[in-house]
Amino acid sequence: MASDLGFIDPTAGGSGVKVALAPRPKDLAGKVVGLLDNTKEQADVILETVAEILRNRYGVAKVITRRKEHYSKPATGAMIDDMAKEVQIAAAALGG
Amino acid sequence: MDEFEFFLEKDWSDGLPVVTPTEERVRAMLACTARGPDETIGAIPPAGGIATVRSVAIHAVMAGCKPEYLPIVLGGAALILREELNMGGVQCTMHGVAPLMIVNGPYGERIGLRGGNGCFGPGFRANATIGRAIRLILMNLGGGIAGIASATVFASPIRYTACLTEHMARSPWESLAVSRGYAAGDNVITCAMVESPRLHFDDVSTEPQRLLAGIGDAMTAPGSWNMWFNSDMVVAMSPQHAQLCADAGMSRRDVQIRLCELAVRPQKNLKRGGNWRPERARAMGLDPDDDECLVKAVKDPDRLHLIVAGGLGPVTAVCHGWNESSRAVHSAYSV
Amino acid sequence: MCSVHDTIEFEKRGIPATVFLTQVFKNAAVYQFRTKGMEGHPFVELPHPVSNLTTEQMRSLTERYVDEMVAQLTQRA
Repeated sequence: MASDLGFIDPTAGGSGVKVALAPRPKDLAGKVVGLLDNTKEQADVILETVAEILRNRYGVAKVITRRKEHYSKPATGAMIDDMAKEVQIAAAALGG
Repeated sequence: MDEFEFFLEKDWSDGLPVVTPTEERVRAMLACTARGPDETIGAIPPAGGIATVRSVAIHAVMAGCKPEYLPIVLGGAALILREELNMGGVQCTMHGVAPLMIVNGPYGERIGLRGGNGCFGPGFRANATIGRAIRLILMNLGGGIAGIASATVFASPIRYTACLTEHMARSPWESLAVSRGYAAGDNVITCAMVESPRLHFDDVSTEPQRLLAGIGDAMTAPGSWNMWFNSDMVVAMSPQHAQLCADAGMSRRDVQIRLCELAVRPQKNLKRGGNWRPERARAMGLDPDDDECLVKAVKDPDRLHLIVAGGLGPVTAVCHGWNESSRAVHSAYSV
Repeated sequence: MCSVHDTIEFEKRGIPATVFLTQVFKNAAVYQFRTKGMEGHPFVELPHPVSNLTTEQMRSLTERYVDEMVAQLTQRA
């Protein structure tokens, strides 16, 4: 960690672990989509609108919406696991 | 290059010069703990940089700590990572709260932590540098910097440093830590997520009812998240104000409960501006159309952290909190 | 930006995911995707603020971004 100047670099750097992008389908026709509402105001309106359009215009088979405990906290691993069993596509809202 | 400029250019500071963390200084810092330098404290969110005993010591050096402060910095670094406090949320929020460390017990007093006049700073090395070390860790290991990981709108002065003790020599009550069941000889840190203190002057009251009614008013405010969440709050009464309550036979707990009863506003008053909205009222179990119902600033007396601090004089400092996703934490630390 | 964290958790489980956020959280999102191993991950950026929009305004704003969201979740991106 010591630099050329004789100082110690106080930063830790990231973990270095890379996460691969999940393979994207050609389109959403027939897919089950999961929407994650983080409880922030307007998240419900955004996701309801998204759900409606996905069903009407993109041929999505089913939309499942879940609400996590609080927008300032990550969803629990169990909640993501449960959704991941049911859905093939996911979107979250809202950072705002 | 000048070493002070080097660190400032690297964004490895809070904007003020830091003490250069040379191997020698870090070694001297580490001599004040029996813990191994590679021992992991935890990952600092959101970047996940790993705080070890050694990296905490590096930041303690940079912040200007004396080596004997290290046990408190180590205790604080572990405490802010407790899940209930939700440091990760605060590192990103638009809000400007900071983890305020309230240190109780003999070790803090021995190393010179200040609970008397001027205790929120500036001017006292232990208070200033222990809190600053925690901030530098949040910035350098967590990326909690405005414009980078943090969406904070203003931040606030309390993000430079936030560490104090109680003014036990002048307090009529047991310490905060003792009130939670610790022994008087235990070294304990309590950490709550709060805004900078707002100073409430009352040089008029001669009995608790009027005094606490006024402090209660200062605890409420349109635009404070305390009104619409089940959030924490820290109230630091000066010894003079605390004594007035104690002389009337009130315990710390009595004052805590009374303040929660008095710190209310009618909903119609909060509807005029700020962050009132019907969904938020409903989430608090209130009918949004009931104008007369009273909205409490602190919903649960256990979330009001009442301390006695500051110098002689008729002032109480009120630190509003953040949201309900953060809950104050406390723990003994080893020296 | 806990929603960024949640988005990455879906990706880790093989589920294509994205997130709606407003401009105020843009830098935070870019940083978090980078430090959590998904540099350059897309997100849907709405103008800020949205919290004071009427439901109707919020719906019509959202409608304009659904196509972008779909592109991020399919091979159209």
